Amino acid sequence: MVDETDVVALQKENRFLREQLERVNRERIEYLQNVSHQLVAPLNAIKWHIENLTEARVGIERGKKVLRSVYSQATQAVHLAKNFALMSNLESDHALSALREPLQAVNLCQLMINLADDFQPQGWDKEIQIRVQDTPLSKAPDVLVIKPLISQVFSNLIENAVKYAKKLSQIVIDGTHDPDRDLVTVNVRNDGIPLRPEDAKRIFERGYRTEEAKDAYPAGTGFGLYIAKRIVEIHKGEIAAATDARGRVVFTVRLPVRALEGEARERESKEGKNRSTRR
Amino acid sequence: MNQKREKTVLLVDDEQSYLEPLDDALTHEGYRVLKARDVSTALEILKREHVDLVSIDIMLSPGAGLEGTINAQQAGMYLCERVASEYSHVDAFCLSVVTDAETIMRIQDLGVRFLRKGETPLRTVLRMMRSRLTGIAYSTERDGKPAP
Repeated sequence: MVDETDVVALQKENRFLREQLERVNRERIEYLQNVSHQLVAPLNAIKWHIENLTEARVGIERGKKVLRSVYSQATQAVHLAKNFALMSNLESDHALSALREPLQAVNLCQLMINLADDFQPQGWDKEIQIRVQDTPLSKAPDVLVIKPLISQVFSNLIENAVKYAKKLSQIVIDGTHDPDRDLVTVNVRNDGIPLRPEDAKRIFERGYRTEEAKDAYPAGTGFGLYIAKRIVEIHKGEIAAATDARGRVVFTVRLPVRALEGEARERESKEGKNRSTRR
Repeated sequence: MNQKREKTVLLVDDEQSYLEPLDDALTHEGYRVLKARDVSTALEILKREHVDLVSIDIMLSPGAGLEGTINAQQAGMYLCERVASEYSHVDAFCLSVVTDAETIMRIQDLGVRFLRKGETPLRTVLRMMRSRLTGIAYSTERDGKPAP
């Protein structure tokens, strides 16, 4: 005998689960649409540029600029493709060891200079300049990290900074080494859309975008900062957003110099053991 | 020939990546090209300048004064409506990546020509705009030359 109240409760639960499933499905579709739009847009723009070049619709001088723009679009497409690849890895919640990337000693100052050069073309449009203040960051020791991941963290921060900075402004990257806690701090500062204190925490949530960001760039996915936070956490570091003394939005990343050394050694010995048992 | 050279095209898109090649191509054709990256700037230009053809993206920034009043995902739709009702003498195109059939139907019901951005080759976009601006029927090209 089934109690009638049980049936009602089951029906209620059934309805609740169905609604939840529908919501997840809707979010998924929206996500996939945004992902494909973001990936396809720069590639299509490249196609249109190439069409102009092959049909000789631009002169030689303009042609050089078009090629620079094509380069910048390609950089953008590669950057986004990496983000989405990372996203699926992080979503399946792999532990660091499962990411199977070797640790490397990385000079953060040099990395910042390379990234600044990589993203500078995207700032031309708004005449934004990216400046890396190399003192005292250049004096900081190398950090032992998974380089492609950490590189993606800062790519996301710099890309965001370029996106939301105002015309003719400067993006400033600086940093320090704290010998007592043995960590290196890097700041990425931009002068643009202000960040409300209540948003400062939430912007690292998966898919969260501030109203101002949605208005400025409707097609974003809200994943860049989430990915950055996850990667920094894997490295036992910290990431935060705030407004600095000069009213600029500043993203701060703190990375322990050798937080992952122990894990790396452990993994090596484990792998070594596996190899010896296989033999 | 000379008549078309004086025509003005307004491009409304917040993605510089699409604006640039479209601007290059239309400028090469001899048109005067104006650009707006958000809805309120576009409306300002329409009020101020004589525009013959406007190309509108759907996902667009609302721009100064309109934030919060219109949804960015559909801000271009609002602009399509405003153009259809207040600037009916302006030929309107919608160049967007939207795939939702209902939205596309709403756009076309306003008398706005819908073209899928990116997927449509630039030469097709150009030829359709040229055809609207000159009043000469659309024709394909052979060997890169206009059909007789």
